[in-house]
Amino acid sequence: MKPFQYVTATSPGSAQELAGDQGRYLAGGIDLLGEMKEHIAEPKILVNIKSLPGLDKIEPGAKAWTIGANVTVAALESHEGLKKTFPALAQAAAEVGSQQIRNVATAGGNLAQHSRCWYYRHRDIRCLKKGGETCYARTGENKYHSLFTGNTCISPAVSNLAVALAAFEATVIIQRGNKHVPMTIPELYAKAWDNPTSHNSLEPGDLILKVEVPAQPRRSAYVQLSEKAAFDWALVSCAVSAQVEGNKLRLARVVLGAVANVPYQAQAANDFLEGKVLDDAVADKAADLILEKAQGHSHNAYKAPIARALIRQALMRLKG
Amino acid sequence: MPGWPEKRVQIGARAKRVDAPAKVAGAAKYSSDVQPEAWLYGMILRSKWPRAKVTRINLEKASQAPGIKAALAVREGERTVRYYGEELAAVAGTSKQACQDALRLIEVDATPLPFVVREDEAREESSPRVWDNAPNLARFKVVEKGDVDKAFSECPTVVEGFYTTPVALHNPMETHGNTVAWTDEGVTAWSSTQAIFGVRDALAGNLKVPQNQVRVICEYMGGGFGSKLTAGAESGIAARLSKAAKAPVKLMLTRFDEALAVGNRPSTFQKIRLGASADGKLQALELENYGTPGIGSGGVTEGASGDVGVPAPFIYRVPNSRVKQASVAVNAGSSRPFRAPSHPPASFGMESILDELAVKLKMDPLELRLKNDPSEVRRKEYQLGAERFGWKENYKAPGSSPGPVKTGVGCAGSTWWGGGGKGTQVEAQVNPDGSVEVRCGTQDLGTGTRTVITLVAAEMLGLKPEQILVRIGDTRFPPSGGSGGSTTAPSVSPAVYDACTKALDELQKQTGVADARGENWAGACKKLGVNPLVVTGQFQPGLSGGGVGGVQFAEVEVDTNTGFVKVKKITCVQDCGLVVSKLTCESQANGGIIMGIGYALYEERIMDRRSGVVLNPNFETYKLPTLADMPEIDLVLFEMPERGVIGIGEPVTIPTAAAIANAVANALGVRVNSLPITPARVLAALGKDKLSTT
Repeated sequence: MKPFQYVTATSPGSAQELAGDQGRYLAGGIDLLGEMKEHIAEPKILVNIKSLPGLDKIEPGAKAWTIGANVTVAALESHEGLKKTFPALAQAAAEVGSQQIRNVATAGGNLAQHSRCWYYRHRDIRCLKKGGETCYARTGENKYHSLFTGNTCISPAVSNLAVALAAFEATVIIQRGNKHVPMTIPELYAKAWDNPTSHNSLEPGDLILKVEVPAQPRRSAYVQLSEKAAFDWALVSCAVSAQVEGNKLRLARVVLGAVANVPYQAQAANDFLEGKVLDDAVADKAADLILEKAQGHSHNAYKAPIARALIRQALMRLKG
Repeated sequence: MPGWPEKRVQIGARAKRVDAPAKVAGAAKYSSDVQPEAWLYGMILRSKWPRAKVTRINLEKASQAPGIKAALAVREGERTVRYYGEELAAVAGTSKQACQDALRLIEVDATPLPFVVREDEAREESSPRVWDNAPNLARFKVVEKGDVDKAFSECPTVVEGFYTTPVALHNPMETHGNTVAWTDEGVTAWSSTQAIFGVRDALAGNLKVPQNQVRVICEYMGGGFGSKLTAGAESGIAARLSKAAKAPVKLMLTRFDEALAVGNRPSTFQKIRLGASADGKLQALELENYGTPGIGSGGVTEGASGDVGVPAPFIYRVPNSRVKQASVAVNAGSSRPFRAPSHPPASFGMESILDELAVKLKMDPLELRLKNDPSEVRRKEYQLGAERFGWKENYKAPGSSPGPVKTGVGCAGSTWWGGGGKGTQVEAQVNPDGSVEVRCGTQDLGTGTRTVITLVAAEMLGLKPEQILVRIGDTRFPPSGGSGGSTTAPSVSPAVYDACTKALDELQKQTGVADARGENWAGACKKLGVNPLVVTGQFQPGLSGGGVGGVQFAEVEVDTNTGFVKVKKITCVQDCGLVVSKLTCESQANGGIIMGIGYALYEERIMDRRSGVVLNPNFETYKLPTLADMPEIDLVLFEMPERGVIGIGEPVTIPTAAAIANAVANALGVRVNSLPITPARVLAALGKDKLSTT
């Protein structure tokens, strides 16, 4: 990696000042150090944000729970209260990497992580996402790639937590300059949908402070399918949440992961589920609606049936 | 004719690995742990082009970079590089970072040339040639027996299939590499190798240093699986850097490098036709196969690990057969021997088509094997294994398992030579205080060679294992061969037997003690006076055997909605002769099965046809099984002590993938014809890999 300066920030303000335009924030380092070793990222300065006060707590609240950006993925996975209130989030956390990775990876880092596309991550390939001319995956090896995109890049967003948090309609609080900017999960990734070189909507210097998850009671579930039983990326993941009144779904949200450069939802599917009593036909119809605009490439159409299966599995878990 | 003792105390015991404490405590020194005085890091610059004419390599800036003590071009003058990752230049410096920075300062002038990395494209005459003077596709070698066409025309049942296996990477936990010191006195190389004497001779030849001035040491190493049988480019480069820098150089490859330049298992594309009589007896076989050994082909070398041909009809006898095989060169790193070369793909192809035949004959595939397998040992193993596995209860017609998550079972057999030889010599030294040192220039890949030697010596001398100290992994000890072909235990054990038998005889002769073993040992040794007794033993025929048979059964669960395969159980019955060290033998079998599961479900090197790079040069996307993927493994060591010591490192990995593939086909009722069997391929086989359900 390229030599860099290393400093520890004591407040979000100082972190931003230290990072400037050329710096990057270091929390767990799982994503960033890999990029630096491959010379994909060459920050001049690394700002350690692990010591920022108050960002490592999970705090229940009457209106919303707050999850600090430095809360580890392992902590999310094992927090008893969170497991009860937001099972999908704990389940999504449990599927991240390996135990060793979860022990150091943070909530903020998981949300802000960059593409895992093997063209993007290759040290000697300058792909569209890295500012090159073309997306190699489109005509190349794309079995891990997207079924949906708003631009030419087909590398999927792979944050497990984002998929679950989208189902809970969580808000991410960003420090931008002197302001705290709230972003929904769709807003946090909107730029990646439109712009091939973006991984998310964060701008240089933006610092994720915390996530607020509405506390309204919902049932939820997260499922993913990988090639291996553990320590593997999702081929497809799915998070669902809903209030269940009688047998009927209210405010249902279905979100797919690893199939688009954003956690993917379809308004039509969410609308369709409103007031429905869950059965296989309803789940399949929701799946059809969410997959309606899917576009396959040479090696990834198989993700569609997996998505269908996971949507059904996840929705059925809401029956309780 | 020598023979193993009828009553054995140490041999066959569940003894602990003698080097386990050293390994667990971190005291065991691997090549990468060695730190001779004033050592430097070494690092290699590799080609960024899959094929290019390199006209100039400018080392000036690199050699003046901070901390850099030496920089060199791997070859002088113009050259053609033929794959992404081929070695171009190297540096030695005081830190890893200094070397990494310096590599980026090396200027390489090159003209990129057209290249091809896919087998199916490379075989076309219009494709760019890997080697200028020969087509990529070598001429098909044809082996014909009997009257194939006539036999097929007379067969009432004929099945056809097309089976493919991927290029797989060895990926040993310890990467390739070494620490080398080249001084006026000679060369010392601490090398991660399966063949210390092979590396010694290669280094001596390459560097033009007499063999008696080259010493290779490999006390401990972290696996090789066939990819460390020869001195790689990193050996000579480290030596030259050491000479130039006048300091020892440690050059260990990275995981990224491992995917490019240090070997792989060739791919296969096998078109097979099999004919049988109405009662299921095999009558006719036609097999056409090609695959790639990387650049090691194109009529130039016919593949670095020999050609890519598979043994056909594998373990079966078919009176009429036509086998056509060829290798095709692509712009990728050469293959090297990989745990039972050519056997796992042979097993996958042949055992798959055999199950297809069983389906067509409406016959139990186990019955079909019992009918056609010429090996009596395997037939017995099948019967024993079927009993333990519950084959009768578990076998159902293909695809008949109810529900979306289907279960299936499959089986497959294997053979391997695994005999001994190679002129191994062993020195046994008996000291006056009764302690014993056994020395042999073999090496322990992590499989348990030290433990095997200890147990044999303890047995022959009537001592406890802790009274024996084994020293191996140094070319200053008596010679032994490379550890490949599952030959180490059967080569070394007889030589240890011989050395210890002679030492005991000599001790008894010199001291007049009639039986110096056991409790008489200390007294007898004391009578030696001041001089230890040193005796050399040789490999003795008659104490080891080969030609093993083994069978495996697999039970799987396949989710037809997601394509996910879970291996639930493997039952392995392995013929293994006289077992010396039970725990390490079982460990070998478990490791072989685990590797077979990787080959069946996860592992595949993926090349990008547009850029020519390996897309998965890491454990993130070159997928290796983890504990969570492991099934229950039921292991039966089918012991036949009368056959002597046999190596089983390779046979145990051969049939695993075939048995799993057959189990998947049994579950689904359709076959996945390509390894690895991923969710994508299962869904494709089911016709479900579509965007919409309509």
